[in-house]
Amino acid sequence: MKKITIDPITRLEGHGKIEIFLDEEGNVANAYLQIPELRGFEKFCEGRPVEELPRITPRICGVCPAAHHMASTKATDAVYHVDPPLAAKKLRELFYCAHMIHSHIAHFYVLAGPDFIPGYDAPPEERNILGLIKKVGLEIGGEVIKHRAYAQDIQATIGGKATHPVCGLPGGMSRVITEEERKDFEEKAKSFVEFGKFGLKLFDEQVLANKKYLDLITGDVYFMKSYYMGMVDGNNKVNFYDGDIRVVDEDGKEVAKFKPAQYLDYISERTEPWSYLKFPYLKKVGWRGMVEGKDSGVYRVNSLARLNVADGMATPLAQEAYEKFFATLGGKPVHATLAFHWARLIEILYAAERLLELAKDKEVTDTNIRTIPTAIPDEGVGVVEAPRGTLYHHYQTDERGIIQKVNLIVATGNNHAAMCMSVKKAAQAVIKKGEEISEPLLNMVEMAFRAYDPCMACATHSLPGQMPLEINIYDSDGNICQSLRR
Amino acid sequence: MKTLVLGIGNPILGDDGIGFYVAQELANKVKGEDVDVKDANTYGLNLLELLAGYDRVIIVDAIKTENGEAGRIYKLRPEDFTNIVHFATSLHDTNLATTIEIGKKLLAEQMPDEIVIFAVEVEEVIKFTEKMTEKVKETIPKVVNLVLGEIGST
Repeated sequence: MKKITIDPITRLEGHGKIEIFLDEEGNVANAYLQIPELRGFEKFCEGRPVEELPRITPRICGVCPAAHHMASTKATDAVYHVDPPLAAKKLRELFYCAHMIHSHIAHFYVLAGPDFIPGYDAPPEERNILGLIKKVGLEIGGEVIKHRAYAQDIQATIGGKATHPVCGLPGGMSRVITEEERKDFEEKAKSFVEFGKFGLKLFDEQVLANKKYLDLITGDVYFMKSYYMGMVDGNNKVNFYDGDIRVVDEDGKEVAKFKPAQYLDYISERTEPWSYLKFPYLKKVGWRGMVEGKDSGVYRVNSLARLNVADGMATPLAQEAYEKFFATLGGKPVHATLAFHWARLIEILYAAERLLELAKDKEVTDTNIRTIPTAIPDEGVGVVEAPRGTLYHHYQTDERGIIQKVNLIVATGNNHAAMCMSVKKAAQAVIKKGEEISEPLLNMVEMAFRAYDPCMACATHSLPGQMPLEINIYDSDGNICQSLRR
Repeated sequence: MKTLVLGIGNPILGDDGIGFYVAQELANKVKGEDVDVKDANTYGLNLLELLAGYDRVIIVDAIKTENGEAGRIYKLRPEDFTNIVHFATSLHDTNLATTIEIGKKLLAEQMPDEIVIFAVEVEEVIKFTEKMTEKVKETIPKVVNLVLGEIGST
């Protein structure tokens, strides 16, 4: 055995790559974001019993297994034409709210936060979670870890396993929860609500109160008009677990509202030779390339999109925060890409309040949590709002329930074109001819797509356990003139 | 002393499954109340939640190094990763070294005193398959023995 020292560049595969092309003057002519994609998942599923998919699909990635588990479970309900009992639906939603909290906490406090606390222009060795803790204090760091653990506990209790849940079955859930567990969820939910309020207060004090940051959020560098897509409940309020899919245009006008099973009437996918990952777009608007404008079918999903498509939040404190959000940022819809972060904090509060409502509801301990399927399986679609946006699972089976075909549109996929456009826009804004291209400037380019919380379905859990990113800048002759890897 | 053996890996992603399969083998071999064997297909902060509360953790994971030879086994310590601790914000999670650093700051007394990592150089990790390449698969019994030796070494 040889002792080696690991360098971040030693991971060869699974690079996220930003390629920036300069013109003869030294300005940005073009910029591309390349996302690696794991291959062959749909094929891997073919020939397997459909009820296995809720346990297999969470293995696609280690970041949002619960989202895949839920979308997959709902797709199996649809394949078997079975409607789960109300208690099962409530239990699923409760579980799912815990997942949203778990995921959003990590993104804001660990990944996005350091761009504001200590700040995007701070030296890289301070611009991370450790630098953030140094500024806001150990105690707050402890609260972050504590609430992550609470959310994980709830997921593990209901899901049966901490990271890869096994609770969802066609027609319901596998295990009831006890009164004691319900009480425990209720206590944790109360704590989540306080933590959710704290997050918004922190954002107020550290980000919104600082003119430099507010200008950055509302400025041109990260501004992009597009269509937005997200799930809404019967009252057009944000819902993560179930509802219709609503699409609004750049003026906020509803242009589509459809049931999950109709998604193929509204979404098409475009392939480009330079990318494994496809580019979904609005079918009825059409693909005009990666351009802004009403005749371009590029749309966005994730937190900001969910707030933009909805008429409000279904819980009181989140509704207050929602109103402040639009009042501060100039009305609906908000096109500021960095506002994804603020929207995410509002969603933590909503998920916390909703979780508390569900945990107080004694029906979640009801023992009737499964409707046994009796119909012959054929085809079904399951959709949830993953933390990163709308997630579609579509299965076709034979009459024995053996998978013939699988189609997935993953959350980050929906945002693919928009992320490329945001990266290009940021690169054009911050890289100017004749000026040195410094690390903080390149970080500002990265911030453009970090806002989308992209889940790059790569083998990130291989050591050193960090998704590498490579930024290459090419001169007008196509030679690399600067390169940065992290 | 409470020990955790943690196999990290995805059993349906080719060679990436190495940690998972080693953990499966060990689950049948390791007896005793003071040793837990777990598998996880996760990393970053999620890992922190798994490590907390143990005195010693033995991690088995896949690794990919430049020009690395598939099937090679490395014994590493967290210190081997320290050159990437203070790296700027990553794309979507923290790396192992940063995770441990955060743990030391926030969960001081709950963090393990000792962390040992057995890493196996892998080849195919981007295509979904339950099959590992031969060279990597062959390392399972070797890694199992290394872990058993490590458990018994105190």
